[in-house]
Amino acid sequence: MRVSRILLAVVSATLCGGVANAQSGSDAATYKSMIDQYCVDCHDPIENRGGLSLDDVDFTKVSQHAKIFERVVTKMRGASMPPVGKPRPDPATYDKFASWLETELDKTAAVKPNPGRPALYRLNREEYKNVVRDMLALNVDVKALMAPDNSSYGFDNVADVLNISPALLEGYLAAADRISAMAIGDPDLPREDSVYRVNQRLSQNEHIEGLPLGTRGGLAIEHYFPLDGTYEISTTFLKNTLSVIRGLEFPHQFEISVDGKQVKLITMGGTSDYSRLLENADEVRAAVEERARVRVPLTAGSHRIVLTFLQKTGAVEVDQLQPFESINFDPVYIGGIPSVEGALIRGPFDAKAPSVETPSRKVVFSCKPKSTRDEAKCADQILSKLARTAYRRPVNDTDMKVLREFYAQGRQSKGTFEGGIQMGLRRILSSPDFIFRMEKDPQGIAAATPFRISDLELASRLSFFLWSSAPDAELLDIAAKGKLSDNKVLEQQVRRMLADPRSESLATNFASQWLRLRNLDSQQPDSYMFPNFDEGLREAFRTETLMFFDSIMRDDRNVVDLLTADYTFMNERLARHYGVKGIYGSDFRRVKLDDVARRGLLGQGTFLMVTALPTRTSPVKRGAWVLENLLANPPPSPPDNVPALKENAIDTLDREPLRVRLERHRADPGCAACHNIMDPIGFSLEVFDGIGTKRAKDEGGLAIDSSGSLASGKKINGVNELRDVIAKNPERYMSAFTEKLLTYALGRGLEYYDMPVVRNIVKTSEHDNYRFSSVVMEIVKSTPFQMKMSAGKGELSASAGQPAKPVQ
Amino acid sequence: MINFKKSLDRRTFLRGSGVAVALPFLGAMVPSLTAFAQTAANRPRRIGFVYVPNGLVMTDKLDLWTPKKAGHDFDLSYVLEPLAKHKDRLTVVSGLLGADGSGQHSGACTAWLTDSFPKKTQGVDVEAGISLDQVLAKKIAGNTVFPTMELAIEDTTNLVGACDTGYSCSYMNTISWANPKTPLPMQVNPRVVFEMMFGGTGTAEQRRARFQQNRSILDSVLEETHRLEARVGAPDKARVADYLENIREVEKRIQRAEARTGELAGSTVASPSGIPEQFPDHVELMFDLLHVAYQTDLTRIATFMMARELSSIAYPQIGVREQHHSISHHSNNPEFMEKKGKIDQYHALLFSKFVDKMAATQDGDGTLLDHTLLVYGAGMSNGNEHLKKSLPYAIVSGFVKGNRHIQIDKTKDRPVGDLHIDIARHMGVELDRFGRSEGGSVGLT
Repeated sequence: MRVSRILLAVVSATLCGGVANAQSGSDAATYKSMIDQYCVDCHDPIENRGGLSLDDVDFTKVSQHAKIFERVVTKMRGASMPPVGKPRPDPATYDKFASWLETELDKTAAVKPNPGRPALYRLNREEYKNVVRDMLALNVDVKALMAPDNSSYGFDNVADVLNISPALLEGYLAAADRISAMAIGDPDLPREDSVYRVNQRLSQNEHIEGLPLGTRGGLAIEHYFPLDGTYEISTTFLKNTLSVIRGLEFPHQFEISVDGKQVKLITMGGTSDYSRLLENADEVRAAVEERARVRVPLTAGSHRIVLTFLQKTGAVEVDQLQPFESINFDPVYIGGIPSVEGALIRGPFDAKAPSVETPSRKVVFSCKPKSTRDEAKCADQILSKLARTAYRRPVNDTDMKVLREFYAQGRQSKGTFEGGIQMGLRRILSSPDFIFRMEKDPQGIAAATPFRISDLELASRLSFFLWSSAPDAELLDIAAKGKLSDNKVLEQQVRRMLADPRSESLATNFASQWLRLRNLDSQQPDSYMFPNFDEGLREAFRTETLMFFDSIMRDDRNVVDLLTADYTFMNERLARHYGVKGIYGSDFRRVKLDDVARRGLLGQGTFLMVTALPTRTSPVKRGAWVLENLLANPPPSPPDNVPALKENAIDTLDREPLRVRLERHRADPGCAACHNIMDPIGFSLEVFDGIGTKRAKDEGGLAIDSSGSLASGKKINGVNELRDVIAKNPERYMSAFTEKLLTYALGRGLEYYDMPVVRNIVKTSEHDNYRFSSVVMEIVKSTPFQMKMSAGKGELSASAGQPAKPVQ
Repeated sequence: MINFKKSLDRRTFLRGSGVAVALPFLGAMVPSLTAFAQTAANRPRRIGFVYVPNGLVMTDKLDLWTPKKAGHDFDLSYVLEPLAKHKDRLTVVSGLLGADGSGQHSGACTAWLTDSFPKKTQGVDVEAGISLDQVLAKKIAGNTVFPTMELAIEDTTNLVGACDTGYSCSYMNTISWANPKTPLPMQVNPRVVFEMMFGGTGTAEQRRARFQQNRSILDSVLEETHRLEARVGAPDKARVADYLENIREVEKRIQRAEARTGELAGSTVASPSGIPEQFPDHVELMFDLLHVAYQTDLTRIATFMMARELSSIAYPQIGVREQHHSISHHSNNPEFMEKKGKIDQYHALLFSKFVDKMAATQDGDGTLLDHTLLVYGAGMSNGNEHLKKSLPYAIVSGFVKGNRHIQIDKTKDRPVGDLHIDIARHMGVELDRFGRSEGGSVGLT
């Protein structure tokens, strides 16, 4: 029943959008001769360029060569074949041919859909963290519990490569032990040290977002204290390489507060500290840090610790007068003003079980036994509720039998009811039902047959897509009642989930990876070339893009607005960098952008910086980034042993424009095919330097030339024209966005047989102005999201690893 | 020469400050662990593989790695200078062929220890070859808690989307492969490694209880997984089977660990607080943990990636402000080549400090280094052009005849597996073939 409804939807969409083709046979002949004329010189069995031969494919049987023809479509839609400079059919014919191919391919897919088969999902670190947060109201540092995950196709939730190892299992076991103890507040939890650090390149000369007004620099820590007890907070201050604390010439007041209440106020610096500094820096350092050390009795739960300096009134601090934004790196500098280097929280001393109900305990202890007789019943209630969330399905007798055993074990060894619950919880967190997302094939299904996954499985796919976490009680209830297969209910749930704060994971996980925001951290702009770069700017870039993406999503705007919106989010630091006036303070706010060049992702520091080299821009990287992430036409990998570009030595006057050097590189026909497409895109963005500052001259002092011609032959000049080309005919951009989001939603790489689905999503969401929610909705309703291919022959060839988007 | 003094000062000061990065208690717990180890008459042989990324400066015009002289009593190259005091135990092997012509950076780290090419895929069919450490583990791991340990410095999460086009990031995240289809994750967090080694924190009783509880959890999970196995489709069965196998392996580890670290009576073990901020501190801490693991026979076999391919670490402490990967594409610019050389020598220096420590640690009737074979090197020769010819390997060992440069004629295209077979022989393991090698020998004696 269900299968046929989906099929119908695909068929009708295809018929509406497609081109009638009664003359398929003669079309085939026409296009075959076109291929012969323009393509087979290179793509014959002998030359076999890019591992592709078009000589022997039968154009009357497009469906049988779907894999090859999807490659052809990708190249044609990107206008990248035949190579720039080689003869091509006239644009109308070229376009008609591509449409004909798409129509033929879509027809086949409509009749014989292949939903693919993702591998067995394992929770990745990010998902693990979120599930624990939602299930136990507990934030854990997963990086301190398990090894990093592998990634493929640009995402870390691709099931194919989330494999298992002894080290990983040990990580899960250790995590289950620790998390269950923290959630319950086990008084035996060992004392431990937690270190928090301020990035040493973060300027602390001004007020920092989220810290109290009237303060300067420092850091705020949201720390979870598992038990009642005394905790020690120590602070270290920034020093030069000779271990001398900086900025002690004048007195400064340093304050530690817990939940807004001052617990320590010291004066550091001034005559007495400074006079001894030059004789015995070690002693002064020890004395100052000892002065700042404090022990505070705290109740269990989360507390906000703030370590900061009180802003001096009226006087301009010394470092604020320095000409650049970046902090002074002189290794023997002792001037300036003091900064916090890091903090250490140690404890608990005299630990006691929580005297207050922590959020975790509130969630866990949904009942409290009044007497020993009530215990078993209450334990059942608590553990079955926890297991339901953890296993993402109703709990059965076998589950409960196991959990009761572990409850009894803990009850006995710890001697308390809570100890029993802790043990049961530990067992739940160690279960394969928790760690894996199982999807069952229906009993007795034939091999390689598409089937609809169960409502409960769909609920998990949905929540891990939209929340990177497990289904909540509402979604699980609906799925358990079998109502999720009702499209109306499904739609309601999607809207509810998108509106929920947890959908921020679409920004932090999906967009972060799609736009390579995570790679921001590994960029190290050269401090001599970019003296105005500091950590505050890096953070501002990240915040800007995350808030920007989030606003497009929450306001349910057209996805194309990601490129064109006339606003962004800024704080003072970022506004100063972008040359926008009138923005004060460290908090981010929505700002209208008058400078058109700055609009959308192409004008944001994140994109401009992650595609740069430390000392200069890279038009090639920028071009490749745009092709892959915005135009669904990723360039193939460069061949091995390519001659590298000749760099200008930084200090020589003999500078040759980058454009000239790249042109020489392109003179090699082996390089030209791709660089002719990438480089002009990159050059159109040259008005931004490696950290996104606007400029009139390049690193070598030469005037910027942003002109070039795209693969289609269209001439462009500058970022605005590039943006126009992409945004005014947004199909390619929408394909790119859809492919990325679908990859993320499915947790697998896309295959050739997914391309008709992508085209259908783009076409359908166009009717709704490419609203963010309409793309999400179409993905959720799509065949590969709702269905799966049963195991067996056929399925293997489907996932045999050839990337859907041919890379060569 | 480069002045490293500054960075050393920095490190010492970090130690002294309130934020502890060292493991002062490690030393204290070693005796009780080694007491057991020392009773064995014959000290076991240990082996470690230390990898550095992005190739070296090895162009036709300037080669900062390869000694000019072949054979006995060779000349130390610039990069290898920090190992001067161990020259008698140092063997440089050059001229062997890596995964040339495959996966720019993926091919480098994949082939170094497997002598196999990475399959160009991002899917479930990720494939290379079993790595030498894993082959050896099957034969010589004995009763150690960890048949092998895999350590690294850089968290690979920042690499998502930026690996070699068409290749899964899996290839770049490790040098160790359990089998041709299973890359092993490498631990970057000293805290995780520490807790793995010592069964978590807490008192001896707490740790003992934890071991027991974990065993009982695993038993139960094993049962549950058998039930699950019936439910899943054929392709998923392989992963479930893999999972089962891993559960059994972890069970064994726990049993062995109980026998070993369960004895740490009375001491409260506190773990390191996390990843040190400074690169050299992090490297040193990982080496410290490995040193203790060797010393106490918790493991005999380890791999360590001092940085990963495409590494973006900058080294301002030695005057290199550029990111490692960018500067490795030096375009034959002398200034950039010098900087890349500085990084390479700096890595060798950090490695040499580990060797120093191994040489200064008593083990049976000799030193730890007497009973250890350490392999150091990279998966590319000329990183500038991603060349994987004449891969750099250096061996420091108490039982391999040192002070030698074994120069293989690189035009013969002999695979690195020829060396791996020799290394295995020194570890008491005879291999007929390894990777592409069909049983050759480079004459490592």
